[in-house]
Amino acid sequence: MKHVIFFLMAVAAVGQRFYADDPLDREPAPRNVEKALNRKLSDYYDLLSHQFGHVGEPQPKSGPPIRAQAVNTLGEPMDGAWYTKRHYDRRMTLEELKRGPGDSLAPSGSQWTVIGAKSEGITPGFTILDGAKRRYFIKFDPLTNPEMATAADSISARFFYALGYHVPQNYIIYFTPEQLVLGDDVQLADATGKKRKMTSRDIYEILVKVPRTKDGRYRATASLAVEGKPIGPPRYDGTRKDDPNDVVPHEHRRDMRGLHVFSAWLAHDDSRAINNFDSLVQENGRQYIRHYLLDFGSTLGSGSQRANSPRSGAYYFTWKGASTQLFTLGLAPPHWARAHYGHYPAIGLFEGDAFDPERWVPEYPNPAFLNRLPDDEFWAAKQVMAFTDQEIRTIVSTGEISEREAEAFLVECLIKRRDKIGKTYFAKVLPFDRFRLQGGTLAWDDLSQSVPDARVAWFSFNNMSGERTPLTSMPASGYGAAEISAPSRPGQTIVLYTDSGRIAGIDRNWR
Amino acid sequence: MKLRFACVACLAVFGGSVVPLEAQAPTRADTIERARDIKAAQLEPDEVSPMERRLRALRDQKWLERASSGYNGFRAKIGNMVTGGGFAIGPEYFREDLFRGNMVARASAQFSTRGFQKYEAQATLPKLAGGRVSLEAFGSHRNYASLQYYGTGPDRPKDLRTVYRLEDTSIDGIAAIKPVRHVKMGGSLGYLWTNVGPGDDSRFASADQVFTPAQSPGIDRQTNYLRPGVFGQFDYRDNPAGTAKSGGNYVFQYSWFLDQKLNQFGFRRMDIDLQQFVPFFNKTHVLAFRAKATLTDTDRNQQIPFYLQPVLGGSDDLRGFRPFRFSDRNSMVMNAEYRWEIFSGLDGAAFADAGKVFPRRGMLNFRDLESSAGFGLRFNANNATFLRIDTGFSHEGFQLWFKFNDVFLGRVFGTTTGQPVY
Repeated sequence: MKHVIFFLMAVAAVGQRFYADDPLDREPAPRNVEKALNRKLSDYYDLLSHQFGHVGEPQPKSGPPIRAQAVNTLGEPMDGAWYTKRHYDRRMTLEELKRGPGDSLAPSGSQWTVIGAKSEGITPGFTILDGAKRRYFIKFDPLTNPEMATAADSISARFFYALGYHVPQNYIIYFTPEQLVLGDDVQLADATGKKRKMTSRDIYEILVKVPRTKDGRYRATASLAVEGKPIGPPRYDGTRKDDPNDVVPHEHRRDMRGLHVFSAWLAHDDSRAINNFDSLVQENGRQYIRHYLLDFGSTLGSGSQRANSPRSGAYYFTWKGASTQLFTLGLAPPHWARAHYGHYPAIGLFEGDAFDPERWVPEYPNPAFLNRLPDDEFWAAKQVMAFTDQEIRTIVSTGEISEREAEAFLVECLIKRRDKIGKTYFAKVLPFDRFRLQGGTLAWDDLSQSVPDARVAWFSFNNMSGERTPLTSMPASGYGAAEISAPSRPGQTIVLYTDSGRIAGIDRNWR
Repeated sequence: MKLRFACVACLAVFGGSVVPLEAQAPTRADTIERARDIKAAQLEPDEVSPMERRLRALRDQKWLERASSGYNGFRAKIGNMVTGGGFAIGPEYFREDLFRGNMVARASAQFSTRGFQKYEAQATLPKLAGGRVSLEAFGSHRNYASLQYYGTGPDRPKDLRTVYRLEDTSIDGIAAIKPVRHVKMGGSLGYLWTNVGPGDDSRFASADQVFTPAQSPGIDRQTNYLRPGVFGQFDYRDNPAGTAKSGGNYVFQYSWFLDQKLNQFGFRRMDIDLQQFVPFFNKTHVLAFRAKATLTDTDRNQQIPFYLQPVLGGSDDLRGFRPFRFSDRNSMVMNAEYRWEIFSGLDGAAFADAGKVFPRRGMLNFRDLESSAGFGLRFNANNATFLRIDTGFSHEGFQLWFKFNDVFLGRVFGTTTGQPVY
């Protein structure tokens, strides 16, 4: 069915290029979702199918590529269930960046009721209700790396929020064991899934496995439960069969393709389906599915339970890589094996010198990431580059890393990685954006500040047939098209469409 | 059916070629709404595939964990039999939740395809004094039908392969303290009953038919031992429970084997095991070194029974030689391995081994070493090796080893059974 919807959308696009309401800033109000199945995905299946199978619709091996969808005619994802334009479009203040998705709902009250716990694993956690009966998931740092996972969770949630995604509110909290009160008849599952009634001793047993601060308190991430009814994670391919609003295969969504670049920047190598989250939410009398990114404990060099592997940023397995290592007896080590890391337990394994945005990949193939094109990368890179050093510093401060040198190192790495992302992806398409028409002339920002020889050719544009006729200047009325090129960037062009003195759309082309 | 519906929807929504598209879809929002119309007409539960459901159940219902932890404490114990014993399996009762997780207890019985038997029982209190003190009781009975024996001494010919049956029963109590980080020390006290008999392998002669008591002490009469011992360990490996990639592990043990029956076979034994791991390329490559020596000592008129003598050869030391190829009163072995990551989950290894057995402690030197070299693959998960395939080459040929443990974690055969540091 998805192909039929594609076809219909394509027919619409071929017949008439622009409509009266283009460019659309927001998606139309979502359809009401009567019911949606709460299903869990298998991380084993996800790994195996993505590593060894064919998932989603890949880019064709020849012919024109499949451009990103779920975007308006400017190439921007529309505000809606997946995404909301934020920092790049409407610059957030330092205070807003620090606040992220919210800063007023930290667990309240002097005592919190433990209503669930996870005792198995190296980094156990709790589910609590605070004094206002709000539900939080409490996660800790590993003993070997105090502050690491909690800082990463806090910082990355704010970055991803500023980048436009829906994320939960994550708070760094400090508490004493006396603040935890065991709820009635709380069940605890052991490592084999066998359930029994939880006791106060179990709380003690969990806290023994996590680090304490110098003043004897426990530091943790309190992740406020996302509003609405949880219905399991969205995949990086296809669409949800029970969501009428989910009409674009996820591997073709710009916000999912561009997530590759954001994940590379923040070393979110754990960017797989089970770390996403769908929730059935109520808004304006309608019920619809909102899509979240979750669980950033494995970012910025953290591996949640330990410092991340130096392999982070490379696939678990590739035939070529494995063969090379096998037959060279490891004497041709991969580039990531030669990276140098700071020795900061609160950071884990994170760096900016060996980082190469073009080489970075998550733990295993992701169909949306694989489908990204230079214009997807540009869309993401311009947002990464929009963060100033001061803004990065401000967001990193929300990680409450006690060692100043470690915090400064993290900022330095993020700045280096940001700059590499800009340099890499601004070179693949003409890096012009923020177009505007000023007194009959076309102006823009050169985001790379490296293309001085741009030139513009004007055309009239037939919105129904797509025909273009050369003009000497911007047409005063009707549709026009401005083709921007630069001799220093052969093969890279931007075609900007105008409609009676306003910008109607943008095409980015590359060779 | 779906296609037919979609075509109808297509005509309904866009009117085919009869109705101009613009008239039907005057806005971008309309085109999106029409795509939603089509999707809305075909909604169905977003179920996962049967395969994914099964894999999810495997994880959610913790089938792997249940299989390894068993049912109500009962599970299958596979492998971990002495080299040459064949494939071993048997029931094991394992509990680590006793006394609120403060006691670990297990008991097992294993039988192998070569008729070997091993019974073990163990109870441990690992968390006393906040984890600084541990107490352990360990008992075992082993009945190994056909252990290999080539005679005592470094120059015994390869063709002189014989077999013998070893039966022993031991109980040991072990107390250990961890006074500071990385350091563990303690003592043990145990009792050991031993018995040997004709080997049960028709392919080879029985040891008692080939060797005399003068050549192989204790081949005719066996004794029992009171076995006190002390040990110390400095262990700063990054992953003591699995495959270490950095750090070191230095173990010293001293045991007294006090003959309680014949007053002929009392001896003292010192074990030194030094391991060092040098990582490079971000721990994707590791140079692993081990030097291990076992030195024994007797009073006048006392001898060390052949079945308690240090041995070399096999999957854990001289990998190009058969199991227990060399035995004598003393042994030393050095191993060097170069390990590299092939991909996440598989490491390659190239190794070299050198060692010897020798009758007098004064011969502890680097002369007349037997050597082997080879390569291997190590399959790992959760930072531990679950399958090791090593091929070792020596002047006596080559040996292929399939093992379910890390190369330096193997227990010393025949002595210090139940010591916590092995």
